Amino acid sequence: MSTRRSRALPATAITLATALVATACGGSDGGDEGGSGTVRMLVNITDNLTQAKWDELVAPFEEETGIDVQIEGPTGQSVAETFPSQLAAGTAPDVIESIFPSPDTAPEILDLTEFEWAQDTPMSDLYATDGQVNVVGVGMQAQSLLFYNKDLFSQAGISEPPQTWAELDDALAALQESGVPTPIGFAADWATGVQVQQMWHPQQNVATPGWQESVADGSSTLGEQFEPMLAHVSDWVEAGYTTADDVATDSGTQEANFIAGDVGIYPMGSWFTTTLAASPPDFEVGVFAAPVDDAADAPGPMGATLAFPYMVRDGASDVDAATQLVEYLVTDEDAIATQAEMDNFNREGLDVTTDEYSASVQEIVEAAPSFAVPGNQTVGDYALPVAGFNPKFTELVQGLWQGRPAADVAADLTAWYDAEATG
Amino acid sequence: MAARSTWTRGRDTLGALTLTVPAAAVYVVLMVVPVGFAIYYSFTSYNGIPSQAPEWIGWDNYLRIITDPIDEMRPAVWVTAAVALIGAFLVNAAALGLALLLQRTNRFNTFARAVMFYPHVLSALIVGFLWQAILGPQGAVNNILAGAGQSTLPFLSDPTWALATMIGVIVWGQFGVQLVLYLAGLQAVSAELQEAARIDGANRVQVFRHVTWPALAPTVTVTIVTSILSLLKVYDVVLGLTNGGPGDATQTWAYEILAVSFANNKVGLACAQAVLLILVAGLLSFTIIALRRRAETGAEAVS
Repeated sequence: MSTRRSRALPATAITLATALVATACGGSDGGDEGGSGTVRMLVNITDNLTQAKWDELVAPFEEETGIDVQIEGPTGQSVAETFPSQLAAGTAPDVIESIFPSPDTAPEILDLTEFEWAQDTPMSDLYATDGQVNVVGVGMQAQSLLFYNKDLFSQAGISEPPQTWAELDDALAALQESGVPTPIGFAADWATGVQVQQMWHPQQNVATPGWQESVADGSSTLGEQFEPMLAHVSDWVEAGYTTADDVATDSGTQEANFIAGDVGIYPMGSWFTTTLAASPPDFEVGVFAAPVDDAADAPGPMGATLAFPYMVRDGASDVDAATQLVEYLVTDEDAIATQAEMDNFNREGLDVTTDEYSASVQEIVEAAPSFAVPGNQTVGDYALPVAGFNPKFTELVQGLWQGRPAADVAADLTAWYDAEATG
Repeated sequence: MAARSTWTRGRDTLGALTLTVPAAAVYVVLMVVPVGFAIYYSFTSYNGIPSQAPEWIGWDNYLRIITDPIDEMRPAVWVTAAVALIGAFLVNAAALGLALLLQRTNRFNTFARAVMFYPHVLSALIVGFLWQAILGPQGAVNNILAGAGQSTLPFLSDPTWALATMIGVIVWGQFGVQLVLYLAGLQAVSAELQEAARIDGANRVQVFRHVTWPALAPTVTVTIVTSILSLLKVYDVVLGLTNGGPGDATQTWAYEILAVSFANNKVGLACAQAVLLILVAGLLSFTIIALRRRAETGAEAVS
């Protein structure tokens, strides 16, 4: 997951220095006619996505084409922060992984619409702007998932995973009644906002399909869109299903709490299956889609983001080589399989499940009637025309854990959107 | 004679210029030019990407900061004011108190001085992460409390506690420099005057109040100004310790510039926020120096 808060100024200086060095090194390499023969690729580095695994992923491509691929990790806290800094410094990489174009960076990104292979990549339609494709990926990461501890559910007398919000409320009450320390686990920083949004995607898109467009054209407000979800969270805080300590606990620790058996339900995207597979809990883990109001609508549209998104910088030192690399990464079966081992994702028509947890997610993805893009998407026809949605959403939503009423938080969301959209 | 005098003056001027111009050039290139760019960008709508030219928008960025339509800057200014004022007081109190305890040179004090300075050697970001691990909801302290059957404390999960915790951590990370300054200042206090006061019957408190403290006035001015300037731009500790949360409870002015405006490519707005921070820092510094002038005059008299 690349959504993280930023640490810009110190990073900018380091970015400048590192990228300058990288450019200097890369520029001296020989290469094919008309290009440097070297592609610098900025990628997300995490516990799962290590430098070694990235090197391993691109090694067959290098061997086959003779193009040298230089893997670069973010010099700041995230790729989202590093890429604009490098653009400002004039040292931007050729291929960028893990982020999407924003209104500011989109003019710097190569239009891939003319490439037939780009049109056939997963979710390319949902991420296109007026049919223009400038980001491609290998699959989707399901977002609206709630992982649960089957032992704790049995202990609480819950026989079936909830399908509706009312059933979820009943399940949380039963978990609390049976003595579960944290019936539902939220986490700090970016996770709070993402978790709350993830849980609301299905019902939100049942009620207002393409809600981002409704907000953008003024027929709805951001506050209206999220107030019912905020009210649910507010009720849970009041009931003690989640406490202020949760939103001061980092996601890694909260995931460890779930694995230790202290958390009944943990809302998180499909990438959590990689963590579960690496540290399998002693209990059986279940997963269900986020609920809807009416059982007849279940399962609702599944919130999903593009997995392993890649962009090519317009003006890359060797555009052809960079485009070849991206084509390889999103179309080559071996490359796709390697990426599935690095971080879980789902892809229609291709079984890339690597463990029991990702297989459970695959079942839910296949049962979903449609897919919906989240509010923090920065590109495409469904993008909100503002920057910084998730950080602001997180900041305001955390107020619920401090006793702020849902209506006040919703009003602040609307005010923020209005100020940002006009400013 | 006149020709020789002119030649001498010219040689002196050339010598002065030779010594001054390189330093002035470095200062202009590294300080004046960047600040000049920041001031220019503060009047533009600019996302920091060179291929997309800045658009002149006059005072709009400043108006947005002053009108604060979404209540972003006001909380950040209050948090920064609390950090700067309370933090500066605590940093100086801790540093002066410890300097008085450690001013005599012996093995233990030399070791203790090194230990006290050590937090400042650590990166501020690491200081933040370190104390997050100690004071977080499942940190070392709360684990001990929970293990002893006590209720845990909301060091980082309650807004008021989080701000107090953050100030405490910042003080812990910063007082080492002020300690060194106070130790240096104490070395310069006249031992004869202190001895004379003691012979006249003054006790320890009286010697400190009437001799040591007045003589330390220039040091106090320097430590207050440097600590406030440093605290006004606190960012890394915030990032490591609370990341501005819960909510916006610990977001400082610098955090607003770097983690909110810059992060969202609002370079013009970020520059306007930075320019205002520079003005506030300058105004505070000059005010403190002016207010301290009388005390420093007294120190000269004591010397």
